[in-house]
Amino acid sequence: MNKFERYLNRPEGTETPASENTLPVSRRGFLIGAAGAGFTLAFFRSGLSFAQPEEVVEAETFDPTIWYHIFPDGRIVVNIAEAEMGQHVGTALARIVADELEADWSMVELHHVDSDPKWGLMVTGGSWSIWQNFTPLSRAGAAGRQALIEEGARLLGVSPDQCQARNSQVIAGDQSISYGDIVSQGDLSRTYSEEELKQMPIKPASQRRLIGRESRALDIPDKTDGTSQYGLDAKVEGMVYGRPLIPPTRYGSTVNSVDDSEAKSVKGYQQTIVLDDPTDTAPGWAVVIADSFHAANKAAAKVKVDWTAGDTADVSEQDILDHAVELIENPDKGSLMFSDEGVDEAFNNASDVFEQDYITHTVLHFQMEPVNALAYEKDGTWEIHTGNQWQSLILPVLAKALGVKEDKVVMRTYMLGGGFGRRLNGDYAVPAALASQQLGKPVKLVFTRDDDIRFDSPRSPSYQRMRMAFDDNGNPVGMEHHAAAGWPTQVMAPFFMPKGANDEPFDPFSAQGAAHWYSVGPHRVRPISNDLANATFRPGWLRSVGSGWINFAIESFMDEAAREAGQDPIDFRLALLKAEGKNAGEAPNSVGGASRQANVLRRVREISEWGQDMPEGTGLGVATTYGQERNMPTWTACVAKVNVNRETGRVKLEKLTLVTDAGTVVHPDGARAQVEGAALWGASMALHEGTRFENGEPVDRNLNTYTPMRIGDVPELEIEFVDSTEAAVGLGEPATTVTGPAIANAIFAAVGIRLREIPITPEAVREALQA
Amino acid sequence: MATEFQLNGQAITVDIDGDTPLLWALRDDLDQTGTKYGCGIGMCGACTVLVNGRATRSCITPVESVANATVTTIEGLDPDGEHPLQKAWVQTQTPQCGYCQSGQIMQAAAMLKDFPDPTDEQINSVMAGNLCRCMAYVRIREAIKLAAREMNGAGADNASVAGGATNE
Amino acid sequence: MIKKILMGIVGLAVLVLAVFLVIAWESSVDPVDPPASDQFSQQQIDRGEVISGLGNCQTCHTTDPEQPYAGGLAMPTPFGTIYTTNITPDPETGIGQWSQEAFARAMREGVDRSGSHLFPAFPYTHFTKMTDEDVADLYAYVMTREPIRTEAPENTLEFPFNIRMLQAGWKLLFFDEGRYQAEDSMSDEWNRGAYLAEGLGHCSACHSPRNQFGAEDKGQAWEGTVVNGWYAPALNESNLSPVDWTTDDAHAYLREGASPFHGVAIGSMADVVHAGLGKAPDEDVRGLAVWLSDLAGAADGEQAGSQATAAIKSAQAQLGPDPNMSQGERIYAYACASCHYNDPASPNAMRPDMSLNSAVTAPDPVNLIRATLHGVSQEDGIPQVMMPGFASALSDQEIASLLGFLRETHTDQPAWDNLEQTIRDHREQ
Repeated sequence: MNKFERYLNRPEGTETPASENTLPVSRRGFLIGAAGAGFTLAFFRSGLSFAQPEEVVEAETFDPTIWYHIFPDGRIVVNIAEAEMGQHVGTALARIVADELEADWSMVELHHVDSDPKWGLMVTGGSWSIWQNFTPLSRAGAAGRQALIEEGARLLGVSPDQCQARNSQVIAGDQSISYGDIVSQGDLSRTYSEEELKQMPIKPASQRRLIGRESRALDIPDKTDGTSQYGLDAKVEGMVYGRPLIPPTRYGSTVNSVDDSEAKSVKGYQQTIVLDDPTDTAPGWAVVIADSFHAANKAAAKVKVDWTAGDTADVSEQDILDHAVELIENPDKGSLMFSDEGVDEAFNNASDVFEQDYITHTVLHFQMEPVNALAYEKDGTWEIHTGNQWQSLILPVLAKALGVKEDKVVMRTYMLGGGFGRRLNGDYAVPAALASQQLGKPVKLVFTRDDDIRFDSPRSPSYQRMRMAFDDNGNPVGMEHHAAAGWPTQVMAPFFMPKGANDEPFDPFSAQGAAHWYSVGPHRVRPISNDLANATFRPGWLRSVGSGWINFAIESFMDEAAREAGQDPIDFRLALLKAEGKNAGEAPNSVGGASRQANVLRRVREISEWGQDMPEGTGLGVATTYGQERNMPTWTACVAKVNVNRETGRVKLEKLTLVTDAGTVVHPDGARAQVEGAALWGASMALHEGTRFENGEPVDRNLNTYTPMRIGDVPELEIEFVDSTEAAVGLGEPATTVTGPAIANAIFAAVGIRLREIPITPEAVREALQA
Repeated sequence: MATEFQLNGQAITVDIDGDTPLLWALRDDLDQTGTKYGCGIGMCGACTVLVNGRATRSCITPVESVANATVTTIEGLDPDGEHPLQKAWVQTQTPQCGYCQSGQIMQAAAMLKDFPDPTDEQINSVMAGNLCRCMAYVRIREAIKLAAREMNGAGADNASVAGGATNE
Repeated sequence: MIKKILMGIVGLAVLVLAVFLVIAWESSVDPVDPPASDQFSQQQIDRGEVISGLGNCQTCHTTDPEQPYAGGLAMPTPFGTIYTTNITPDPETGIGQWSQEAFARAMREGVDRSGSHLFPAFPYTHFTKMTDEDVADLYAYVMTREPIRTEAPENTLEFPFNIRMLQAGWKLLFFDEGRYQAEDSMSDEWNRGAYLAEGLGHCSACHSPRNQFGAEDKGQAWEGTVVNGWYAPALNESNLSPVDWTTDDAHAYLREGASPFHGVAIGSMADVVHAGLGKAPDEDVRGLAVWLSDLAGAADGEQAGSQATAAIKSAQAQLGPDPNMSQGERIYAYACASCHYNDPASPNAMRPDMSLNSAVTAPDPVNLIRATLHGVSQEDGIPQVMMPGFASALSDQEIASLLGFLRETHTDQPAWDNLEQTIRDHREQ
């Protein structure tokens, strides 16, 4: 296997450390290796070039954002900068390229890249990947096709006009030449300016051959035979294992002393080190070092650390929620995400004002693979091997922690054993790096499940107050929404926070979903950062972030408002989804506006049992959202069917019916899988999960008490997508946002009780029934 | 302390503490990383392997307790990774993040020996110990039934597979 | 007068003592040179090996598997700890100098070669029923073992229980010497089973409660009791299993170590089945099964099957995947059911069903606690089928809620008292 092939066949299934298999350090080395073996479609700073690598090197204008390579044997390797965590994003992105390239899909392979700055902002979250990359990747594919047609035509001795590309071949009448042969025989030097690229025509939807067609995800086979490599599988020669000893509070704890006398009897135990973290990412940490994870784990039980705990050692879930109420009741607090003119007048003049409060409790990520990281220094560069969703966010922190320049830290991203937003926050890599630096050898830091939960960035508990003003006819004429929660973006990425109407910044992700498309008159949304939550734990982005809790409030409230107005919950919503004014939508992303949300809502009414008589204790509830972002709306509607046992208070979720309009769907089966998983996540958070803070930490630490949905809890699922060629938007999260409120609304329909708090417990159901 | 056992058809010896969980012996000493760590208390199923053909949570099984036993991990379920369950897992496009799937497949393999044509209730009861955080449960169930049909000689019925994914 | 009375009492006491001494006194049997191994035929030795297994000799007389029959196993009793002796033919520390006569007397009368009374921890009270041929065969087998030179630790019996002579009185009260007498009204199979169970196999030594003198309580024969930290269930009609023992089922249990309708043999019983009965001919095991099913109240297979189905269905009706299960139910569903769930119509011995399991119906939770904490090894139960222990995974409170849940939903028995504390005690052992 030559060096070049090794680069292509990256870590999976080999014992060689990943670092030796990834991009060779020297560009020249890489390019020379590539010379004669293929051509590179590479971006120049000024545009796009097809060139023989030698020429690129000579011109010294090579900016190696390599999107894909074609090799003489016809293989097409697409580089993927997104983290693979179950969404099969690589497959979807490669199909966008391959469709425009008119590639033979069976020859397409994926290559996951490292964290070199050339890849730009590296973040996989927010259901952004397809939406952000669709157009640039399509253009890159189209440019490749054009270059291959031109060179293929020359080799065939015909004019490019006579040629078409299909299935990795350039065809002219009864002649044809394969892409591989063009690469090996032709001269593909070709440069596109940025302007040319922008003009690059993209095929009409009717000519798509891969996008929107069924296909198998390329990452799946390795996930059925154990060869897929996750962060926990990373190894390097000479590494030691570390098990963290996590302090009693997330911040502010200090180590007074460490007594490891009893641990010394553990075979393989080496030492316990105390970390000094200049970034305050892992303050007050000690790490048990041993020859094996088993030894580290065993020794950790015997090491006694005396800590002085930080200020939040006594904080409880109730304290955080009580604080939220104080914040909401103080009008000076928070940011005004927007505040339409006339809100106060609308309420002052209303004939009826309806108000309700909603609570969501702490939710753990509980991704299957507890966080972990392998860190070591090699030739002056720090290698961090782990699974991560937001490399660009944590690299500067790692550099600061290690006291090195950012270009001296490189992250090798492995398969993620679940992301769900946990690995947007790469904090777990910091103690691994610090331990490695302190010891001067590679450290593989492995968190037990208990450690993972104590160090989780959970979904913050939230407290929300909803208000609606009605006129004499029972029509909404004004709305207010106050939402207090811990803000992950404020804590970890404040540069991402826009300023509100009152000039106060707000966490856009924690306010997601609040800018709904209902026409309800003047509307005010006031997101408030819960500083007690932020101090007690590091709030996390968790699948759909704010849209999860925000929509539990909005969609529960809309249901209650409909009943208040004496209307059917779907009719009530449809009447407000008018697609007028600011809700009319804008091309390309939100074209159609609220009319598309109305469409999915009508459709879910048609295909569910809405309006039919239900047996005793059984009811249907509805919810609809635009996913997360107004400029990237995924129109979603859900009807949940539940049965409530009046005696036990147990809620059985019988069926979820979902209709989604995500515009163009690139990888339909993958899209369906995302909706299946996201819908069940929402249901799991509503009925099965939820924890609470006590004494500054989550009370649930493992599956003995934390109980995500299992196979027998899965309801019947009916999932439909709107057939659309509009702009492709996100799919990883939107279904998460509708199932919770749909379930709560279904419980009301079934037994007439309103549960304004999730998780919904049997005790709460029983209490409400008795009230 | 040295422990001998058969791993995926090969006689092996590991010279480690007898109380080392089989999971870590497999992963760290024997380089069989397909078996995953999830909870460490036998309640997520990600570490499921076969010990003498029975599904066993390797995270709570001391390596000394499998002395002279036959241990099969995902790497050894089928020499070509083409056990009917593995094929069904691909055909139904079951894995998302994939981390739990080795355990799911091993548990399913053991189940099909006891319940060759499992009902939904049997699947619910036997597979309840295997958590899938991506919640790919609908497909796990489909894949088990598909594999059962194939193993019972009925052959795979492509048309009924969730998602209808085809290989182009 | 008083003096006379006193004299009379003293005189009577002296007389009683003298009579007692006469009764208690046993002569020694002359030492012999260890018999040459070619003194016994291979067939006899082989028969003796089976007898040794049926009598489960090796289990009690072995501590280190590398040194079989060398003794040293501690047997805790209410009177102190007794250590089993070296019964290899080592002349100094074993029984190498024992003639067959001395051996037979020990087996059937509880007196060692030197004339000392043996403690009834050694079940001569049962071995007394053995035939001459079986004793001879066993002697042949034992005397052809590898001699091992090792002394068992001293017993730690408290005064006066350490006085061997007092055993004579115990024997007067509790020992009936004599060979097995066949019941003419019963079949040969049954009589074979009874001979093995009451004699060689000494089943009631574990399965019957003992009185304050450490003797089997005849009034409570086969009622079940805790021995050596394991509960030996009742073998008579007091057996609490929801499924009556059929002959086939008892045979499967004794032959394979597991019955689909009752669970697996663990602890001492695993030794009985695998180390003990492993070499026994099938007619012996069949005889035991016939005798056992008769003692427990025989049922036919069809009836047992429907009893099992009903019990499983009844338990399963009380559980099911649900987001809001009780703690014990949840632990069972997520940590146990993958291996223990059964189709009610055909419970599988490899998937011991908790609604049929003797450990769950037992009045004492010890077997269930020990299996849950420490697992079931490959050597226990069905050979090569193991269960990992949950000691490191679950807290005492969690195990208590799990076992309490099983007890409540899988049996019609009352809740166990003090479960969490009992679990804590066993975890520390």
